[in-house]
Amino acid sequence: MKIISKITIGLATATLLFVGCSESAKSEATAPVKKQVIKPTINENSLGLRKKTLYDENLVPVKTNYNDGYTGSGFKIKRAFQDAPPMIPHDTTGLLPIKIGDNQCLSCHMPKAAAEGGIGATPIPSSHFTNFRPTSSYAIKGENTSSEKLAHVSIQKQDKLVGARFNCSQCHAPQTKGALNVENNFEADYTKKNGASQSSWNGTKLMEGINTFESSK
Amino acid sequence: MSLSRREFLKSSAAASAAAAVGMSVPAELEAAATEAEGSWRWDKAACRFCGTGCGIMMATKNGKIVAVKGDPAHPVNRGLNCIKGYFNAKIMYGADRLTTPLLRQDSNGNFDKKGKFAPVTWERAFDEMELNIRKALKEKGPEGVAVFASGQYTIMEGYAAQKMMKGGFRSNAIDPNARHCMASAVVGFYQTFGIDEPSGCYDDIELTDTVVSWGSNMAEMHPILWSRVTDRKLSDPDRVKVINMSTYRHRTSDLADIEIIFTPNSDLAMWNYIAREIVYNNPDAIDWDFLKKNIIFAASPVNMGYGLRRAGEKSLMPVRADGSAGKYSAAEMETINHEMVHVVSENEAPALKPYGYKAGDKMVNKPAGLKHWEISFEEYKKFLDPYTLDYVAKVSKGDPDEDIEEFKKKLQTLADLYIEKGRKVVSFWTMGMNQHTRGTWVNTLSYNVHFMLNKQALPGSGAFSLTGQPSACGTAREVGTFCHRLPADMMVKNPKHRKHTEDGWKIPHGTLNPVGNQHIMKIHRDIEDGIVKFAWVNVCNAYQDSASATHWIKAAREMDNFIVTSDGYPGISAMVSDLVLPSAMIYEKWGAYGNAERRSQHWRQQVLPVGDAMSDTWQWMELSKRFTVKDVWGPYTLRNGKKLADVRDAAHKMGYTDDTTMYEILYANERAKQYKIDLNSFPQKGYDNSDCNGDSRNVTGGDGKVVKGCGFMVHEYLWEEYASFGRGHGHDLADFTTYHKVRGLKWPVVDGKETQWRFNAKYDPYAAKAVAKSGNGSTHAFYGPLAKALTQGNLMGITDKKKKSLKNKAKIFARPYMEPPEVPDKDYDTWLCTGRVLEHWHSGTMTMRVPELFRAVPEALCYMHPQTAKDKGLKQGELCWVESRRGRVKAHVETRGRNRPPRSLVFVPWFDEKVFINKVCLDATCPQSKQTDYKKCAVRIYKA
Repeated sequence: MKIISKITIGLATATLLFVGCSESAKSEATAPVKKQVIKPTINENSLGLRKKTLYDENLVPVKTNYNDGYTGSGFKIKRAFQDAPPMIPHDTTGLLPIKIGDNQCLSCHMPKAAAEGGIGATPIPSSHFTNFRPTSSYAIKGENTSSEKLAHVSIQKQDKLVGARFNCSQCHAPQTKGALNVENNFEADYTKKNGASQSSWNGTKLMEGINTFESSK
Repeated sequence: MSLSRREFLKSSAAASAAAAVGMSVPAELEAAATEAEGSWRWDKAACRFCGTGCGIMMATKNGKIVAVKGDPAHPVNRGLNCIKGYFNAKIMYGADRLTTPLLRQDSNGNFDKKGKFAPVTWERAFDEMELNIRKALKEKGPEGVAVFASGQYTIMEGYAAQKMMKGGFRSNAIDPNARHCMASAVVGFYQTFGIDEPSGCYDDIELTDTVVSWGSNMAEMHPILWSRVTDRKLSDPDRVKVINMSTYRHRTSDLADIEIIFTPNSDLAMWNYIAREIVYNNPDAIDWDFLKKNIIFAASPVNMGYGLRRAGEKSLMPVRADGSAGKYSAAEMETINHEMVHVVSENEAPALKPYGYKAGDKMVNKPAGLKHWEISFEEYKKFLDPYTLDYVAKVSKGDPDEDIEEFKKKLQTLADLYIEKGRKVVSFWTMGMNQHTRGTWVNTLSYNVHFMLNKQALPGSGAFSLTGQPSACGTAREVGTFCHRLPADMMVKNPKHRKHTEDGWKIPHGTLNPVGNQHIMKIHRDIEDGIVKFAWVNVCNAYQDSASATHWIKAAREMDNFIVTSDGYPGISAMVSDLVLPSAMIYEKWGAYGNAERRSQHWRQQVLPVGDAMSDTWQWMELSKRFTVKDVWGPYTLRNGKKLADVRDAAHKMGYTDDTTMYEILYANERAKQYKIDLNSFPQKGYDNSDCNGDSRNVTGGDGKVVKGCGFMVHEYLWEEYASFGRGHGHDLADFTTYHKVRGLKWPVVDGKETQWRFNAKYDPYAAKAVAKSGNGSTHAFYGPLAKALTQGNLMGITDKKKKSLKNKAKIFARPYMEPPEVPDKDYDTWLCTGRVLEHWHSGTMTMRVPELFRAVPEALCYMHPQTAKDKGLKQGELCWVESRRGRVKAHVETRGRNRPPRSLVFVPWFDEKVFINKVCLDATCPQSKQTDYKKCAVRIYKA
């Protein structure tokens, strides 16, 4: 009996997942079950993202259509979770590529420019002015990092943007409009009221939870 | 504002940390703690994606992942991740996760290859797998049972899979997708050093003066390493030079001082040009003392083909008058025929002259294996003679719009930077040099230059192969999850290695199969030839990621065989399968990965799997319960006539009966049971462990009963047993619990200390020992044991069959420039290159389901030069067909994007199920490494 109810649950899930290909599934679930048989209703073309037969390439890919809000329009995209990198709400045509001596992102997003620019650009947070790579010990001297302890974690504030964070497009990307391929059930849990719009990764939070050995001993 | 005691302790820890490295305490740290994260639990984990091997901090709440942040304590990435790294938070939550096994059936519930899928129980799923494996073993022997394995297996999963396949089924037909990404690097390491994996480590980046990226778009494919390169460059912009060597302009060019756009395959010519510059024009730069103590010169056959199918194979029969053959069209055969006979081109002729060929000669190709022999330095010098600046510039210049004199200047500057005394140089590469029909060759050529200048295995200097996948090194290579390998660099063809492995696994001598030739493309071809009857796609996407895809899909769907895919999500491999299994994804299980700098790192299970999904380790253990000694250890005859002995009697002598299951022998054995479940101590305390203890979902398992887990700490057992093969043999790993306390360690880990620069006596205890023993006073010892006795000869072949030892020495190889088997012509006039983009991982199965990553790059574009578009009558954003001799796909034209090819090339990434570019790509491989060349084939582009 356990197995049968399990299959029924599985079938219900399948019906949810493969909408459009399983019109007979519902009636089948209530029909008398012989040998625990469920009518096969899931077409291979309903699996995955392609949604078309594998034997014909005459299909149209998704068309990219980035948010075209001009820089400074004030439109922002919510952070996906607390301290997640924010996505770019504006058109980046003409702003990329980022080159040494030519990083156009900085002209609006450096904290001073963001505060004074009057166009509501998101200021680069303090984490980007914090260097975590030890410059005075270990690797740089050719020493072994296995002798490094958590107490040696280096947190150095600096005025300049940290070099490792110079490639903005490594974490931040423009976003196309239109439907998703498939929904995502992740649920964000913002610990700060403004967590969807601001980074809080600074101060004591930088070290929060880092000692995973002590905390679960 | 008052601080809680816990927060106070944290603040003071950070403050004392700051004091320890001699800096002032940021004011913020002294301020009150931010709002508590209350019910969040933070733990460390490894990133799911590329071979960089970053650490992440992962937060869970109520059994769900809620956040990911950079780990300030992790030496690889120090508090920073790339966009994919952060979005590890979301990869397991796509709405169409597989939650139950699915089987193709008829309306009576019987398996039906032509049927649609219906949900089945795990018990039924294993019934079908058991039945079909038995059938395959009976019809074809062990060669009929295959696994498409993975560089994304956890180390323990890969080890578990390998044990059942090689020890249980006696089949070596288990080969990972890492074959597609790293095999050329591996053979390069074996041939050069006698042992796999890089001598350097990522600390080289902060220590070097020069980064040369050869066929590696690090900015997108190893973003965190690139952020380290960027940081280094910005810290000293005048001294630090960055050079990008590529067949098209991409983001790595954006920060480079010099960009060299070259013709596909001409990296061979450029490495030899730099070597010639050293030998002919800057002989003083050669460190002869180093060379004499540590290096010999070597050569190998050049007429070895292109790893395509060969005439006479079943699917190439019969040959027809119209040029078609078997299952291959006449157009396809135009390329495949190069496998048998290649006509030497004008461009190749100068490079092949020292081998006795001239333009127009017919080169008859023969499988050459890995054979090579020692030659003299004079012979090597003769080999280098053709690679003058004029010749190399002529064959290498990849942008038809670039001035040849400008290009020559760049080549000269490149050579000068390598040669400059006192300048440290790191050469990085990835798929550009590995996915290459001469991939092994070009890998070995990189070391030549570094060796002659004594710029290898030194802090800040060395040729450094970057791996593609998160555990291509850890699982595929170190565990030996390849058809020809065993753990810790042992080989199936070596009787001593087999015996040692059999002893370690407590299985009878003679159980392991000595024939290991079913590499990943061979498995596809064996399915098409009707040899492989059962195949399991395990933690990869073999039907989306393999070139000439149409053939393999047809073979899977239309022939008599049984294909299984286990995955988190349904992808193209699920579509072509007969049975689909729901797998637990990365943070739903305990695991470990090994990255490109030899760093092994572990994580704990963070959350329960979804639905009825279970880990791949559990799936292998459940399957192993279905097979006993009498089922799998009888006699077999392989297709080459070789016999596998009946080892059942030997098994009885070891205390096993005919009915002892493979589960009892390979997994739940006496040793395994010593690793106890201990929920009161670190690291198990407070963490789920579905494989060992079952979980609150009460999933019904392979026996129809509720899964209660194996009852012992299987992850620790698999780790420790695997590690015991490498300890004391240059692959030393620390114990299981240590890894849960640290952010990974770079092996060999000797006396608790990791190793940064291998083969360097100052840093590597194995090298120090070897140098002390030899007494030659060298700074280095290249102590790898493979192919360390060679016959003698010249470029043309072996002249003295007596083998000479080259203990502790590495090799410089003479390997010429040659073209790939398919080059653009008047019908197919453009090069096609495929690869990845930053925002997506491999076939996109995970990342296309993360909204932010999908929205960043929702489609695979056809990146092309604006002039190419104009010439073909195409406009930006329009649809075009990309067509090769094998098939065609439609994609949108992109002329202004991040990839900016010359007129002669287009780039189409392969993550998009809707732009199935592997139907267009060619399955040519390096004949030595068997790695597919995804970077080169000929296409035509036209309006759709």
